[in-house]
Amino acid sequence: MAAYKYIGKDIPRVDGPVKATGKAVYTVDVKLPGMLYGKFLRSPHPHARILKIDTAKAEKFPGVHDVLTGQDLHDVRYAFVDTPRYPADEQPLAVDKVRYIGDEVAVVVADSEAIAEKALMLIEVEYEILPAVFTAEKAMEPDAPVIHDEQVKGKSFWEDWGVAQGKKGRATKYDDTPKVNNLSGRTFVSFGDVEQGFLKSDYIREDSFSLKATAHCQMEPHAAVASYDHVTQKLNVWLSTMGVFLKRYFLSKTLNIPPSKIRVHHTYVGGAFGGKIDLFPYEFCAAYLSIKLGRPVKIELDREEVFMTTRQRHPLTVNIKSGVKKNGKILAQDIKVIADNGGYRGSGPVVIFLCHGFSFPIYDVPNYRYEGFSIYTNNSIRGPQRGHGAPQIRFSIDSHIDLIARDLGLDPVQMMLKNVRHEGDVLPNGDRLDSCGLTEGLHGAANAIGWNTKRNQSKNGSKNERLKRGVGISLCAMFSGAMYYPFASAAIVKLHDDGSATLFTGAQDIGQGSYTTLSQVLAEELGVDLQDIHVVAGDTELCPIDLGSFLSATALVTGNAVKLAAADAKRQLLECALEILEVDSIEKLDTESKKIFLKKDPQKSITFSQAIQASVFKRNGDPIVGKGSYKGYPRTDRYPSLAKAKGLFTGAYGFAAQAAEVEIDTLTGEVRLVKAVTYHDCGYPLNKNIVEGQLHGCVSMGAGQTLSEEVFLENGQMFNPSFLSYRLPLSLDTPESVEGLVNTIEPSGPFGAKEVGEGAVAGILGAIANAVHDAIGVRIKELPITPEKILRALGKI
Amino acid sequence: MERTIEFVLNGETKKVTVNDNQTLLEVLREKLDLTGTKKGCNQGECGACTVLLDGKPINSCLTLAVRIEGRSIMTIEGVAGKESLDPVQETFNEKGAIQCGFCTPGMVLTTKALLAENSNPTSAEIKEAISGNICRCSGYIKIIEAIQSLAEEQEVM
Repeated sequence: MAAYKYIGKDIPRVDGPVKATGKAVYTVDVKLPGMLYGKFLRSPHPHARILKIDTAKAEKFPGVHDVLTGQDLHDVRYAFVDTPRYPADEQPLAVDKVRYIGDEVAVVVADSEAIAEKALMLIEVEYEILPAVFTAEKAMEPDAPVIHDEQVKGKSFWEDWGVAQGKKGRATKYDDTPKVNNLSGRTFVSFGDVEQGFLKSDYIREDSFSLKATAHCQMEPHAAVASYDHVTQKLNVWLSTMGVFLKRYFLSKTLNIPPSKIRVHHTYVGGAFGGKIDLFPYEFCAAYLSIKLGRPVKIELDREEVFMTTRQRHPLTVNIKSGVKKNGKILAQDIKVIADNGGYRGSGPVVIFLCHGFSFPIYDVPNYRYEGFSIYTNNSIRGPQRGHGAPQIRFSIDSHIDLIARDLGLDPVQMMLKNVRHEGDVLPNGDRLDSCGLTEGLHGAANAIGWNTKRNQSKNGSKNERLKRGVGISLCAMFSGAMYYPFASAAIVKLHDDGSATLFTGAQDIGQGSYTTLSQVLAEELGVDLQDIHVVAGDTELCPIDLGSFLSATALVTGNAVKLAAADAKRQLLECALEILEVDSIEKLDTESKKIFLKKDPQKSITFSQAIQASVFKRNGDPIVGKGSYKGYPRTDRYPSLAKAKGLFTGAYGFAAQAAEVEIDTLTGEVRLVKAVTYHDCGYPLNKNIVEGQLHGCVSMGAGQTLSEEVFLENGQMFNPSFLSYRLPLSLDTPESVEGLVNTIEPSGPFGAKEVGEGAVAGILGAIANAVHDAIGVRIKELPITPEKILRALGKI
Repeated sequence: MERTIEFVLNGETKKVTVNDNQTLLEVLREKLDLTGTKKGCNQGECGACTVLLDGKPINSCLTLAVRIEGRSIMTIEGVAGKESLDPVQETFNEKGAIQCGFCTPGMVLTTKALLAENSNPTSAEIKEAISGNICRCSGYIKIIEAIQSLAEEQEVM
């Protein structure tokens, strides 16, 4: 293995000191002179027609500058998914109908939040309450109330980029779609012959699983500041977001101003986890009002609004039928998924596509059929959340595999080993697994949890009658970026007189440590020390395009762009050094710590400064600027079809094997996660400390969603929109944690790296559920696994 | 009603005019522009707004500003020296205990208060002490490890 100076080293975060001292500026900290504050009036009804809105009293309230309703913005439409098949269905303020409790009805902008809140109470809205529906299954029924009956012409922002699919971007005919009510998206894919596969199977089993909506719980609330400069006609915005270029595009489309007239400024992001990538009404309205009023406008959501009106993870039901041979080899699998995406489409069609995307890379199933539905209901809107479909589908599949193994008297680990994919496999859609550490990960995780000694311990005569322990295991997969707007990441490396470098990247550090890992890539490739690197990031004006920090694109896609930019700068430096060092080929030179030296005689060297000076003098003032770019997936120009799951998905899959040991108090029904093990195949880890941090965060979030987290909704009303009643893990819930890295080398990754920040949220759910079964012999198929469900399953209540 | 209060902020005496209904968090962030103290929930549940009141951690979002008359407040802006970070900040960074950083100011102050009271806390005591500070990024593991290593350092000293 190559000896690296910076790659793979536990280097502290470059943004650590600024965060530790409270000096890091987040969007909520931005304050501009003359700033006004906006607040929303929201629907108290899950489904109602707006008959009349009277804002006269609110407008006259002292300190109020403007009040907007849907009538002011009736032609503005946008959505996370905006394709010919799935035209945008969101509007910044409800025009005709409200479709969930919390839907934005009006916005007041005033001198202070307090004034805006008082003025909200003066707005009078007359509603006609409509019948509402709160589960996907009910919403699909023929007589269910129709939530979206508007006719919208299909359009897609991707079409602007010349990559539309089908016939000039028109929705292709899709006659086999079953007629169900409130359908917002459908994915259907099959390969092999499922019916034949079942016929050839020795054993067939079918199970259903379900998961509730969960919340992201980013510590920084959602906020936007917008400031329009009428002189330069430039809109400046500060957004707590994961992708500044995608947000700029959304704003450009909705405000109908060119992208170049919008600047998204950098701010630190206080957590995102998928929940800060959709365009939100507060962002659009802040921008629109700033343009209209010529004053800076800030809109910050309170915690209750963040819980109820931003995004949640999709509640999902999964039905799986598998046919297997006696030895555990899976011959056929038929999977049906129904996702409730709430009052608007959100990422419904994406999550049902991704449930397939995170199902099929794991087990080599020759005969496979998958059908996913996303359905409108009158619940809160659902969007991407860390793993985006992976936790739901991995929990379901690996709970099911564990059950089959039990039925057949097989060891689940052995059954998984028999079916997992390997390096070199080509997936049915054409994606290649150039690196795949599933087998090694399974062995590692099983060993670390003590699989052979701890399994079946309660059956083998546990000493403690009340406290029972068990172990379980599960697998997961995640993309490393994909083809979505702006379809690539680019980077610029600017060298300074003293030989140090500034990295310009559009990537946004949302806490995952990308400024640090990207600095390491630059330092290693260019031959400068880490303290000689300054990062300018997340700013649409200063930085080149970037995919953004979602679908785990940053390490592989942005990492490659940075590596290429560094290589470009290095090549130019070496070319300038040829003459001075009197050599005929740059192959004979190398760099380290801002010096260029002869490989054969390292004593013979010049500094970067000298080479830059030579470049300025001899190359018409060229100060040396390196640039690099990398496509979201170099093998394709197209985004994959969400509906047919056709096309290439991602350049590299990250994999993880996760194991859990639980202890169950059979008197109270409480489940304690004692130990969590994650063996992650993230390719070559750029920074082990940061990789571990990602895995810890994934495990904690996954464990929370398995054991305690749940958005309680009753008739569309969330009953626990606070940290006190929404039970996410606290320090007291921290398990013993073991992280093992399966060091594969991903050939397409920078220094062999690929995804690490999302996949491992997904395996821990099935691991815990399987461990619960191992401990007490009962299967919980509905998450979260609450004490009540345990006691019910044990027949104690 | 407005009134002027006097208190010690990060070692310096401050006079500020505040409203009776203003919280300490609002006064710090909006009147004094000390935005290192974060507003995560404004309900006393997340701990992002933790400051030290006479050395003890409190939720500044639940504390009316008028209540701090004559008392001493330390915010994250008062923790580091001019030239160097405080050992708690330094160790948090070195041990990977910082991710998005939004909980970090509150977490650092809670840790300072814990170590001032108990120089060698057990793992259970550490978990208890920071149980009012929510972190969604880290699963708490590296935060707990950082605090443990600080305790060990103090022990050696």
